[in-house]
Amino acid sequence: MEIAVRALVKSYEVPVRGAGLSAALRALFHREYKTVTAVNGVSFDIAAGERVGFLGPNGAGKTTTLKCLAGLLSCTRGEVTVGGYNPSKRQEEFLKRVTLVAGQKQQLLWDLPPTDTFALNRAIYEVPAAQYRETLDALVALLKLDAVLHKPVRQLSLGERMKCELAAALLHRPKVLFLDEPTIGLDVVMQSAVRSFIKEYNEAHGATVILTSHAMDDVTALCPRVMVINRGEIVYDGSREALVERVRPGRTVKARLSAPAPAALVGALDRRGCLRAHEGATLTLEVARAELGEVLAAVLAEAAVEDLSIEEPPLDEVMAELFAKTEAP
Amino acid sequence: MSGARSFIEKWRGLLGVGVASAVAYRGEFLVWILTTNLPLIMMALWTTVAAEGPVGRFGQRGFVAYFLGALLVRFLSGSWVVWQLTWDIREGGLGPRLLKPMHPFAYYAGENLAQIPLRLLVSVPLVLALVVGVGPAALGHDYRQWLLLPVLLLGAWLVLYTAMLVVASLALFVDSALAVWELWMAVGYVLSGYLMPFELLPAPLRRVAWWLPWRVTLALPLETLLGLCSVRESLAGLALQLVWVTVFGAAALALWRRGMRRFAAFGG
Amino acid sequence: MRRFIQKYYALLKVQLSTSATQAAQYRVEFLMGVALSAFWTLSAVAPLWILFQQRSTVAGWRRDEALVVVAFFTMLKGFIAAFLEPSVNNTVEHLRKGTLDFLLLKPADAGFLVSTTRLAPWKGTDIVGGLGLLLVALRGLGRWPAPTAWLAMLAVLAAAVAMLHALWIMVVALAFVTVKVDNLTYLLGSLYDAARWPASVWRGPMAFLFSWVLPLAVMTTDPALAVLGRLQPVEALRAVTLAAAMSALSRAVWLRSITRYTSAGG
Repeated sequence: MEIAVRALVKSYEVPVRGAGLSAALRALFHREYKTVTAVNGVSFDIAAGERVGFLGPNGAGKTTTLKCLAGLLSCTRGEVTVGGYNPSKRQEEFLKRVTLVAGQKQQLLWDLPPTDTFALNRAIYEVPAAQYRETLDALVALLKLDAVLHKPVRQLSLGERMKCELAAALLHRPKVLFLDEPTIGLDVVMQSAVRSFIKEYNEAHGATVILTSHAMDDVTALCPRVMVINRGEIVYDGSREALVERVRPGRTVKARLSAPAPAALVGALDRRGCLRAHEGATLTLEVARAELGEVLAAVLAEAAVEDLSIEEPPLDEVMAELFAKTEAP
Repeated sequence: MSGARSFIEKWRGLLGVGVASAVAYRGEFLVWILTTNLPLIMMALWTTVAAEGPVGRFGQRGFVAYFLGALLVRFLSGSWVVWQLTWDIREGGLGPRLLKPMHPFAYYAGENLAQIPLRLLVSVPLVLALVVGVGPAALGHDYRQWLLLPVLLLGAWLVLYTAMLVVASLALFVDSALAVWELWMAVGYVLSGYLMPFELLPAPLRRVAWWLPWRVTLALPLETLLGLCSVRESLAGLALQLVWVTVFGAAALALWRRGMRRFAAFGG
Repeated sequence: MRRFIQKYYALLKVQLSTSATQAAQYRVEFLMGVALSAFWTLSAVAPLWILFQQRSTVAGWRRDEALVVVAFFTMLKGFIAAFLEPSVNNTVEHLRKGTLDFLLLKPADAGFLVSTTRLAPWKGTDIVGGLGLLLVALRGLGRWPAPTAWLAMLAVLAAAVAMLHALWIMVVALAFVTVKVDNLTYLLGSLYDAARWPASVWRGPMAFLFSWVLPLAVMTTDPALAVLGRLQPVEALRAVTLAAAMSALSRAVWLRSITRYTSAGG
């Protein structure tokens, strides 16, 4: 196992401060603390080369878990090993094995061209000259960086900057990638470029990828396995498809007809309870997989279908539904 | 009528938040108190010197009283606005402030004034040390000077505050405004009576420095507190404070207005 | 060991060159620095000058001897401005933005990375100013120190540099705990001002504070004593021992604060 986590607990003390002057004055003499448990007894294993997505609402404990894995936070209780190392000891061998890319933070030196950050990282990671050139050339080709390599970072667009962040983070050929919201703020084209790059790196080097993201498209495109974390606990750990199957067992069927749908067909579909939307010649249905054949047959029999698509329900809808369920008392 | 009321409401809110944030950042406040340690260091130095005999009219007690008083004046009339404002300008914190329906100068002044309760609190031990440690004889005995003292302290704060605004407004034009402030401080250490009693300066230097803004921010209220100068001199100092506040205030407003046009054009 | 030194030497070079290229304005800063250090030197010498108009000796020091102390005070001030303050400020900036994570994930000693993250030799104009003051003072004294005196001076000066580095690292460690740290470096800077006077000026608790807790007096007075040929071996030994102890302590505090570190946003 590349990563093994047993009963991980992370809690910290935060000062409690009320609003208003009297509370402020009281805080002057006596500060109250309360213990916040961000991660509460989490266990899982991740094999080398897996791509796993951490999902959950804000403050659920995703980033805390990620930081415990990276050794940026030491856990309160429990055991974490990454590549056989205890991350919180921060041994050099461990640090050379991992990397972090965070969409909201940057390691590139702001006023300098990316190459300077690359050179700095090369010195820090002690990458041999030949390997450095080879890796850099490959990254530059793959990410199409040649035009931006020598421009100061502050002049780059967000997307260009993100690609350079990726290059800076991967120069030492890490085995484990921690990605914290890597596509945040990027446009659709750039998002998919980043995703496919990560996938290529994963496949070429057998690297393990751990991803937290609010962009469900990231997770759908990258992660066959997902872990759903809510209130510091893992509420689901398994394949993404199975999760979708469990929460929204149906498939979304979209059909465009050559003429407005006949009232009888619409009525029948509605009675079955699978009609989601109906507008002129377009039908949106949600159908349990067992009934898929039956429903499709009915539609094809009653109307002339011009276009038809069958999809998994979008992951963000699945997540919304899942958390709506867990939030309800 | 309602204008006056809303004005009061606004300031009450501002001061309330200011006090709360002063309390919340009491650690930093404490550090600031500790940072103002130069008078204590100078006190130790000069009392060592005075152990061999008085310097001018200052014996050991005289120096203790002088530097405790210097500390007191610093605590009551100090300001940080030059650091706050330059920081806000550089880091983009100014934008949100500009959106508030209030001149930023007034906003920062409110924040400053809100610290008064806390500042009075730390002044109590100093006053006690002065009265108990050195003896009431160390303080002035003319009641008119006691009445003048709060006014002179306010004046000292205003001179310092407006001078800081001038320098901070420079930050809208150049990057190195804080270096200018450092220059002000380096000169001020000597000419305000911070490193040694003002009257110990060599006569030619003293004659020039008497007119300069530094003396009225420290030595003036201090000498009034300790009764080292006459009522007439205190009053003359007050007049000089008024002149400097007017000069600095006008300069700050003019610079700020020009700087804002630039800021609006270049977006900071 | 050799590999270790090679790695950190290479790193230092890269850090220095990125610092230099990054400070686009270093020429302006250099000129400002020259002007400022002239003013600060004047403001440091003025009280001394006024003092020695009243007395021929203060606490056993004559004017030019006290000027030697001011010279070392000025040199070390330049060292702080050039090599300690920029790194501390940069680290605080990292903390504020939460980008210290990247630094902590690097396979190199985090303490080293933090101490060298920004170096600004062009801000060290005071180092030159201090050397100038030293020459002026030595001329005033009318004698040139023996080679052994210079050697002793270098030893205690190195100890002083180690102590200052230890103090500043502890400030960075404190930055992990408190929200605003700008004031803290300011505090240390303001306390450092006390080092411009010969140590024998201090009496009672101040003497204890400045020779053992914050051994500022040792930092500037010992090199001065060495140059004047009055440094006792036991004093030199104390300075070196103190430097070693403070370095060890700051290292321990640093490692502890790293363990406690929780980055912005939890």
